[in-house]
Amino acid sequence: MVQLVGSLRKELADSLYTCKVLVVGAGGIGCELLKNLVLTGFKNIEVIDLDTIDVSNLNRQFLFQKKHVGKSKAQVAKESVLQFCPSANITAYHDSIMNPDYNVEFFRKFMLVMNALDNRAARNHVNRMCLAADVPLIESGTAGYLGQVTVIKKGLTECYECQPKPAQKTFPGCTIRNTPSEPIHCIVWAKYLFNQLFGEEDADQEVSPDTADPEAAWNPEEATARASASEKDGDVKRVSTKEWARSTGYDPIKLFNKLFKDDIMYLLTMDKLWKKRKAPTPLDWTQLENKGENEGKGNVFLLFISFMNIISLLILNCSSASPQEESPASGLKDQQVLGVWGCCQLFKHSVETLRSELREKGDNAELVWDKDDPAAMDFVTSAANLRMHIFSMNMKSRFDVKSMAGNIIPAIATTNAVIAGLIVLEGLKILSGELESCRTIFLNKCPNVRKKLLVPCVLDPPSKNCYVCASKPEVTVKLNVQKTTVLSLQDRILKERFGMVAPDVQIEDGKGTILISSEEGETEANNSKYLSDFGIRNGSRLQSDDFLQDYTLLINVLHTEELERDVEFEVVGEAPDKAPPPQSNPEEVNSITNGNKDSAQPSTSSKAPADEDDLMIVDSDEEEGAPSSSATVTSGTKRKHSDLDSDKSSTKRPRTDPSAAAGDEDDDIIALD
Amino acid sequence: MIEKEDPIISEEEAAQYDRQIRLWGLDAQKRLRGSRVLLAGLGGLGAEVAKNLILAGVKGLTLLDHEQVTEESCRAQFLVPVSARGQNRAQASLERAQNLNPMVEVHADPGRVEDKPDDFFLQFDAVCLTGCSRDLMVRVDQLCSQHRIKVFCGDVYGYYGYMFCNLGQEYSYVEEKPKVVKPSGDSSDGSGAKKAKVDPNETTMVKKTASFCTLKEALEVDWTTEKAKAALKKTPVDYFLLHVLLKFRTDKGRDPDPQSSEEDGELLRQIRSDVLDALGLSASLLNDDFISYCFSEMSPVCAVVGGVLGQEVVKALSQRDVPHRNFFFFDGRKGNGMVDYFGPN
Repeated sequence: MVQLVGSLRKELADSLYTCKVLVVGAGGIGCELLKNLVLTGFKNIEVIDLDTIDVSNLNRQFLFQKKHVGKSKAQVAKESVLQFCPSANITAYHDSIMNPDYNVEFFRKFMLVMNALDNRAARNHVNRMCLAADVPLIESGTAGYLGQVTVIKKGLTECYECQPKPAQKTFPGCTIRNTPSEPIHCIVWAKYLFNQLFGEEDADQEVSPDTADPEAAWNPEEATARASASEKDGDVKRVSTKEWARSTGYDPIKLFNKLFKDDIMYLLTMDKLWKKRKAPTPLDWTQLENKGENEGKGNVFLLFISFMNIISLLILNCSSASPQEESPASGLKDQQVLGVWGCCQLFKHSVETLRSELREKGDNAELVWDKDDPAAMDFVTSAANLRMHIFSMNMKSRFDVKSMAGNIIPAIATTNAVIAGLIVLEGLKILSGELESCRTIFLNKCPNVRKKLLVPCVLDPPSKNCYVCASKPEVTVKLNVQKTTVLSLQDRILKERFGMVAPDVQIEDGKGTILISSEEGETEANNSKYLSDFGIRNGSRLQSDDFLQDYTLLINVLHTEELERDVEFEVVGEAPDKAPPPQSNPEEVNSITNGNKDSAQPSTSSKAPADEDDLMIVDSDEEEGAPSSSATVTSGTKRKHSDLDSDKSSTKRPRTDPSAAAGDEDDDIIALD
Repeated sequence: MIEKEDPIISEEEAAQYDRQIRLWGLDAQKRLRGSRVLLAGLGGLGAEVAKNLILAGVKGLTLLDHEQVTEESCRAQFLVPVSARGQNRAQASLERAQNLNPMVEVHADPGRVEDKPDDFFLQFDAVCLTGCSRDLMVRVDQLCSQHRIKVFCGDVYGYYGYMFCNLGQEYSYVEEKPKVVKPSGDSSDGSGAKKAKVDPNETTMVKKTASFCTLKEALEVDWTTEKAKAALKKTPVDYFLLHVLLKFRTDKGRDPDPQSSEEDGELLRQIRSDVLDALGLSASLLNDDFISYCFSEMSPVCAVVGGVLGQEVVKALSQRDVPHRNFFFFDGRKGNGMVDYFGPN
């Protein structure tokens, strides 16, 4: 019988006393994780989080109380933990992990790094830092009832970026501008509108009708004519949205009539669009006003009915614990769906509020979209709903619009508690030197056919072609050298797509021409120039480095003039249907709707196929596709078929590959297929 | 019983519970808000369950524990302050528990479960027992289910843990299913019109029922029948491990103690053989492996089991979503979490 300290063997318990670990994030998972770590016996913990505490965190981030709202998460987390474990040695950083201060040397201090993040950019970054420092990383994520934990160890397992992650979902410009068919299109449009009117104008966030819509043309000649006309027009239009609004003094009624009447009437002239679609119906402020006032008298009556509904519901619900039904009469205020006139009034009111906010900020001021700013949220709610109404869609409550516009991921304490527990268990295996027993573990909502609610899967080895952890990572990017600017290369391709934080780029032209320097200002003059201006053409190679991440990526340029509309570049070998069944990232579901993060990416215009789940329960009476509440998934890693927990199944390997069934805990593997 | 629902959710609640209302809906939140729960045992697992239920926003939670705070307790759970040595564990946990969510009525009761009169339990909608002996759990389960009170049991032993529930013989709940919209026969509008009206995220609530057996029935499965023997292959051995650990608890009045790991290990080995023998099963069903891994309540295992158990209580109180029927077993060494049914068919 070995010597035990609590549940642990003595050597393990002793090592916990001396080792240093890093927790990245002090939110839902982070709070639970910190608690588990100190109770398990970890003594030296560093925690970092750039965020402050919000009241909506309090349903799960239990280290925080109401009085802490507004304070630093990392800081308060540390203080709370010390309350129940005063002997713990905790260092808190109220900072971004992407700050260059946290270099490879910083990461080398730790025996273990655990992510408790909510965004892909940071995950990519920490992934690279841990590879560079050769420190084991435990990655995790949760969304609603679902969760996942996995272990990343350089050379032994896949890194976070080995498997292509589904690109953040985007919508084609013409869908947003001309032919919305779903509420989300209208919400995206409304957020673009917010930026065009009050925030930072963005060429990729146009809201006016798109005359160059290829669908609008009856024949190819017309399409060409439209395209060139739009290009000429384009410049004029781009300048004028905000300018025009300014010229009217942000008059809400004028704005209303332009957006919801004139522009719609223009769309109606593009008759081919409406041949197979229901045509939009323009709105007129004055008409609605007259109608609205008459309805106002009806509202008192409606209130009375609602009151009666409440009474009867009380009577009904008293009796037994019967399964509930949705009772709209007693919903949250925000869950009411407004009528058209209600939206009009909300629109007018929010424009006026935003107008004064803008004026208060001074000349050339810009507002930043924030889902928690009431006027901004009112504006998007009303504008989106008016547009939905115009396009014959059922309107949505502010509550629902906020979910979609703000990319809100529902979250609860219990899921985070389970995942954080699993993280520590994996951590203990790592510290015991038992890496081969580490697993990826999925938390499902319901047990699978093999009765598993928690499904452990063997870890995959690194991908040979990984553009991050392969020995000499290389990619081929298809783009138009005459139309891609240096700035675009830096921001869209290197930073957004390839996760670099501070790229340095050299052209492999024998002269080592420096195209982009991470030093501020050094290559700013290059930004607006096109790649072709530097002699870059088909077959050119660009060496891109991020020194902080200790990462070098060689980019092969494939020049093309045939990219899809709204698509600026394509990474070769990663066409959307090659990516694993896309499950939206919990943290950035529809990130296109988050105006700030500028995910209105022209990088791809294909919609990810929806509802394709190989992640959920294969239960005979379950329908295909998980219920909406659990539709989102964790951290984007491909979820393996839950029946084949021990099979290293992936898009690359056949499921019945016998070598995949490595010795592990399941000796009753059922090979489907 | 679940109290009369107040249809009004305050602004404070709406703001604080926003992220969970978006997941399980307003009605579920209201039902939680009308529920009272009894939690027995404030060890590692108990503290996790307490946290989860308080954060979820139940109406009231009573913490029942007769034990005193020891040095071990401070390491085991996060509600008890280090200065509380010698105090009653429930009372010492009260302040921190209450601070988790001032909107919940948290009470501390220093009494013993076994001393409580029958009608004590009747004030609760759900009862959750941790750290209790087998006989006590069976008795309370019997009493509560007669009165349609939902019963949950759970424990953590080192790397292993389990949860059991009895929601009654006729438990009804709702399940959210994606709405299947039949395409309209009218083609004159074209496909666009159809799509424009249907929200792909629309769901519908479907009513269902499930039946649960008592703990006594669940633990007294007859393994000597042919059917049972055939099912054995797919049966998680954790079920038998549970029997062993419950017997240890009954015989010794405590759980395996790291301080006496040598003797306790021996005893566990013996009990394993006795238990399997009594069930008419081979001793090889459960090998020696588990013995060194079932000491003390491991914090991360408490977190996992407490998370699953906590969520089951939330589901049962809100009568929403398919309940796990009727055991959940967690093996912290393998990372396996399994749900299985034990009891009469």
